[in-house]
Amino acid sequence: MHKIAEVEIQHDIMLANKKLAKRNQKIFDKADVFTVDVLGAIGSGKTSLIENLIEKIDYKIGVIAGDVISRFDAGRFEKYNVPVVGLNTGKECHLDAHLVEHALGDLPLGDIELLFIENVGNLICPVDFDLGAHIRMVVISVSEGDDTVEKHPLIFKDADIVIINKVDIAEAVGADENKMFEDVKKLNPDAVVIKSSLKTGEGLDEIIENIKKFMNE
Amino acid sequence: MHELSMADAIVKTAVDVAEKNDAQQIIEVTIEIGGLALLNPEQLKFMVGVLSEDTLLEGAEIKVEEIPIEIKCESCNYEGPAGSDELDHYMPIVKCPECEEVSIKIIKGRECNVKNIKIEKEDEDA
Ligand SMILES: Nc1nc2c(ncn2[C@@H]2O[C@H](COP(=O)(O)OP(=O)(O)OP(=O)(O)O)[C@@H](O)[C@H]2O)c(=O)[nH]1
Ligand SMILES: [Mg+2]
Ligand SMILES: [Zn+2]
Ligand SMILES: [Zn+2]
Ligand SMILES: [Zn+2]
Ligand SMILES: [Zn+2]
Repeated sequence: MHKIAEVEIQHDIMLANKKLAKRNQKIFDKADVFTVDVLGAIGSGKTSLIENLIEKIDYKIGVIAGDVISRFDAGRFEKYNVPVVGLNTGKECHLDAHLVEHALGDLPLGDIELLFIENVGNLICPVDFDLGAHIRMVVISVSEGDDTVEKHPLIFKDADIVIINKVDIAEAVGADENKMFEDVKKLNPDAVVIKSSLKTGEGLDEIIENIKKFMNE
Repeated sequence: MHELSMADAIVKTAVDVAEKNDAQQIIEVTIEIGGLALLNPEQLKFMVGVLSEDTLLEGAEIKVEEIPIEIKCESCNYEGPAGSDELDHYMPIVKCPECEEVSIKIIKGRECNVKNIKIEKEDEDA
């Protein structure tokens, strides 16, 4: 004889990642490393921004470069003589806390005060996966079009800092950077929103100022 | 495509619980997805199906239910279902349905739960 039984499970699959993220954050806190998850669209300027920050911020910086194939971006950071670990996500469209935990083993955390984790260029998937970073910095650019924020609201809802980059070419691509700014503010009134151009250097000082502010909070 | 890694975790969870309950087969699994989780239910269902081959879950009916979005308003302390607007799909996370203020926090709607399974097992009393 066979019988049918119903078994309650109520197990949140997302929870596993959240637990690992908490563990990562404990490791960062213990080593006194302030960590920034850098997310954003493909080609929006994530790597360029981190390169600029390495040159301009007077803290000891480290980088985890996550990408489908990470050696391209990781190679760019190595020029600056800072500790860099590349994380290949392969087919996956996002970093998760488990991958980051692996990278931590290869980083000299004692020599790092400020760690940037460059996430995979994608405005959707990384949103669901907390890495354990202290803040989330989202980088988008005018070349994605000025309806980007409306199309991908959730990533902005979670952000601490939002960079609207490449304002130098806003006119050329016919995008209104002020509309993008307002769209983010409407979704997330608490976010620090900064318009920047890494070509002209506009906004860079304000970005640095705000990262430091978060570090000292 | 992180439906694949989520599907993998779902299959493992369901099979694990089924084994612990001495199931011979899983007949049905119910998955709950938050209205804001960035997962496509159809893709997820498809991948759970593919990954369940040669496991206790093979052939089971895969049900997907949506968890409604809930928010908490920091202005008026409203806590409950988010607002909705057919023309504006992101309105639910923009403003409070009570006072229309924009300082709201999402408290529900981002989950991906394995809710329950129906299993077939040997009847010990028989
Ligand atoms: N005009 C202009 N170009 C920029 C700006 N910032 C970055 N770029 C250029 O945009 C291109 C992409 O920049 P990256 O820094 O590689 O962008 P990314 O977000 O790291 O790209 P992925 O990692 O591939 O997603 C490069 O050619 C940069 O030189 C800017 O403010 N203005
Ligand atoms: Mg890059
Ligand atoms: Zn591992
Ligand atoms: Zn994806
Ligand atoms: Zn993904
Ligand atoms: Zn309210």
